Amino acid sequence: MLHAAVLRSPYASARVASLDLGPALAAPGVRGAIGPDDLEDLTREPGYPGAPVAAVAADTPGRARRAVEAIAVEWRAAEPLLDPDDAVRRGELLCEPERYQRGDVERALAEADVVVEAEYRTATVLHNALETHQSVCVWEDDKLTVYTSTQWIWGVRDDVATRLGIPGDRVRVVCRYMGGGFGAKTEPGDYTFMAIELARRTGRPVRCALSRREENLATGNRHATIQRLRAGARSDGTVVALDGEFTMAVGWDGFASSTAGPMKLLYGCENVRTAEYGAKLNTGPNAAFRAPGFVEGTFGLECLLDELAARLELDPLELRRRNHADRDLVDDRPFSAKNLLECYRRAEPHWARRESLRAGSEGPWKRGVGLASQIWYGGGGPPSYAWVRVGSDGRVQVVTGGQDIGTGTNTVLAQIAAEELALPLDRVRVAVGDSERGPYAAISAGSSTTPSMGPAVRTAAADAAQQILEIAAQRCEVEERALSLEDGRVVSADGRSWPIEEIMNLLGAAQILGRGSRGPNPTGMRVMTFGIQVAEVAVDVETGEVRVERIAAIHDVGRVVNPLGASSQVEGGIIQGLGHTLSEQRLLDPESGAVLTQTLDAYKLPTVADVPEIVTELIDIPDPHLTSLGAKGLGEPPIIPTAAAIANAIRDATGADVRSLPITREEMLRALKEARERDRALAGSTG
Amino acid sequence: MSATALSLARPADLAEASRALADGGRALAGGTDLVPLLRDGLVRAESLVDVRAALPRGIEGERIGAGTTLAELEGSDDVPDALREACRLAASPQLRMMGTIGGNLLQATRCWYWRLAFPCRLHGGDVCHAREGEHREHAILGNDFCASAHPSDPAAALLALDATVETTKRRLPLGDLYRLPDESDHEVTMLEPDELVVALEVERAEGSVYLKAMDRQRFSFPLVGVAAVHRNAETRIALSGVAPIPWALASAEDLEGATPLPGTAYKLEIARALVRRALEAVA
Repeated sequence: MLHAAVLRSPYASARVASLDLGPALAAPGVRGAIGPDDLEDLTREPGYPGAPVAAVAADTPGRARRAVEAIAVEWRAAEPLLDPDDAVRRGELLCEPERYQRGDVERALAEADVVVEAEYRTATVLHNALETHQSVCVWEDDKLTVYTSTQWIWGVRDDVATRLGIPGDRVRVVCRYMGGGFGAKTEPGDYTFMAIELARRTGRPVRCALSRREENLATGNRHATIQRLRAGARSDGTVVALDGEFTMAVGWDGFASSTAGPMKLLYGCENVRTAEYGAKLNTGPNAAFRAPGFVEGTFGLECLLDELAARLELDPLELRRRNHADRDLVDDRPFSAKNLLECYRRAEPHWARRESLRAGSEGPWKRGVGLASQIWYGGGGPPSYAWVRVGSDGRVQVVTGGQDIGTGTNTVLAQIAAEELALPLDRVRVAVGDSERGPYAAISAGSSTTPSMGPAVRTAAADAAQQILEIAAQRCEVEERALSLEDGRVVSADGRSWPIEEIMNLLGAAQILGRGSRGPNPTGMRVMTFGIQVAEVAVDVETGEVRVERIAAIHDVGRVVNPLGASSQVEGGIIQGLGHTLSEQRLLDPESGAVLTQTLDAYKLPTVADVPEIVTELIDIPDPHLTSLGAKGLGEPPIIPTAAAIANAIRDATGADVRSLPITREEMLRALKEARERDRALAGSTG
Repeated sequence: MSATALSLARPADLAEASRALADGGRALAGGTDLVPLLRDGLVRAESLVDVRAALPRGIEGERIGAGTTLAELEGSDDVPDALREACRLAASPQLRMMGTIGGNLLQATRCWYWRLAFPCRLHGGDVCHAREGEHREHAILGNDFCASAHPSDPAAALLALDATVETTKRRLPLGDLYRLPDESDHEVTMLEPDELVVALEVERAEGSVYLKAMDRQRFSFPLVGVAAVHRNAETRIALSGVAPIPWALASAEDLEGATPLPGTAYKLEIARALVRRALEAVA
């Protein structure tokens, strides 16, 4: 196997004046080298630091890297565009501005008793999955195998086949296990195409595995946002208008995340107007990142709601209750199921800790409690297929061409099949992660794996169960409707029963194959997930230190299949959200656009010492309209309200309005100073 | 990304180690800083000298061997509180198991411009990129030539403790080990290339403390670290993370002479609070 290394632009904006791969090809151990003329992913006009320009395949990773250093290249650097507001002013947009309106916002604001207005900012944050982006590509004659770290083996298969102009069945994609994606691994990626081309040229397998630095330059990010928001309300707490202008620092490529989504969907507000601008900048392309847009938009909206509650002198939880959205007002249709009010009810005891907690403030440490609501998709959808194979030994294999991206999918699918077949869990094995060894399955993104793949497995298991009963009826001469599966046995209404393996054994080497597919989502309904988080913080008002002490997370995601796995998902989401709230940010040199935080000492993910007590409560009511399973996804909901809940707790503790993520020491101290000056001015005007 | 093969010497004693260093070798102990620097091409070396067998390791009375790990100091009852706490709050458990106190005092700056090999003044260029650029982690004192912030927690504790450094060539107060870099000399220590830190002498103190502000609860270099030591009716204060070298303050009022950059003004606020708290703690 050969190892690839990539020549990347050191400049945010540049032109390659000349490029000579000769010295690289002459370097020891080098078997192939490609440049912009050989592959569309390689460019002569890099638009961000880390943009790939050329790639080399060599016997060892070290030799490949040294060969890349030997490439003769002349750069012509240009001044980068880095400021998103500046880009919007200049019309440097990646897409048409996204505008939405319902009702009459201006009139509603004019008639409102109270109007609040604020600007919120969120920083660019980096995925930093434990496993970096990587692929091993192998050509055998005209057939290509791609071993890759991906959230969607079928998507990779189809994208690769389309690009190469070959039939999909000549591409096999394998991903048995992977070390995290968080949204950034939904496509083949340039590294895969480099490995494919180098493997084709050299006739050997080629591995292209990115380093942590490359990961943090060129594989995506959650783009920064600037949110200029207004809300108007009547004195009784009815929110009558929501108005938002969102500027997204998307980067050189990618998409503008739907940061306005929560403003459109979360509350039953009649008058809403949003405008979203996706700025094209000389920074790394963004990628989906765990609830893209909604994490950022919820921070702005839910902080604004608390500022509104303060002006209205209304309890923040009560304000949210009074503005509950009974329907989806964007498409004017009912929700398939919604238990957000039940989430709010179960938040009450956590919220009620507020008074005693605030009383626990001592010295410079001020304590407070904050909450934030959550809405997100998570219903999944068709198509997805699964096979359930029951052997003559009564053991079961679930086969599907999906993938477990580290979220516990294998366990969930085994549970579903085991329940349907009334077998103990250890009799069920799950085989995923190979496009040639299972039927099509959906992407593992958008909190959709369980709701998309789960029903297909359930249907397949039911099909297999039915076949077992048919055989038992035939062989044991019992009427089929008198039979059922219980505790690993075929049970007859007349009291007799047989172990499933005994029935299966009657067939010799034959197997039962159950087939299942994912049916459609309910028509005329909006399937969403909901929740609320209550955060408790302590703030050292002299040093700006913020400690998150406890977060209670109450989420409504339909039926919960695996409670332990589900609470792990909630904890993971909250911890990742905590990082985005307090310490993580991609920092750029303001002049050159160079990424200063490429390594994990400079880019600060939370450590285990930062993790608060996390209390997870799931409503666990199956969605009666959603599939035979009634389950929605949980990958994304828990990261959505964390930042706003923490920021609102900080306001509760200190009176300071933190409006910019991450809430570093300097942001906290800035907000505290602003609050002191505001209080002084207020005291002066009333005194 | 260094390309060349490295030779590795493993001297058994200090004399042998000094000879290997005089031949151009680079001292390697825990390797927690040197190995990444070699990997990133920020330090070039043809030979490494593993000094672990040559260096004293452990605590004997007031003498701390330079090969003692941070983890050993963190878990010892025989060192003053400030030093123990500075070790405990440094790095991560894995790094503290490997990193030695001698190496910790000599670690390179974390300035991202320097680490990314920008042609800054320390790299021989004529500009400090941090001053004009992104500098939230940078210095508020002694930052005219170079705005980097010294990353060592234990160095501030040892400076406040008025530790004596024993090298293969001399004995000197820890404060004299460091110098501000300037046009003529970019080094931040007075150590000669073939000179090794052998041990530290740390007198007992009546009271000592180390307080640290960082970006997360653990595994982060100090934004501001403050050590205070009370001994013989005298209190000494030293700071980490605020200047290119560990920084001693004659008094809390000294902070008012700070020269923060726009993005480091918050550090001054933190430093004031932590100095006050540290003085209260040892009073």
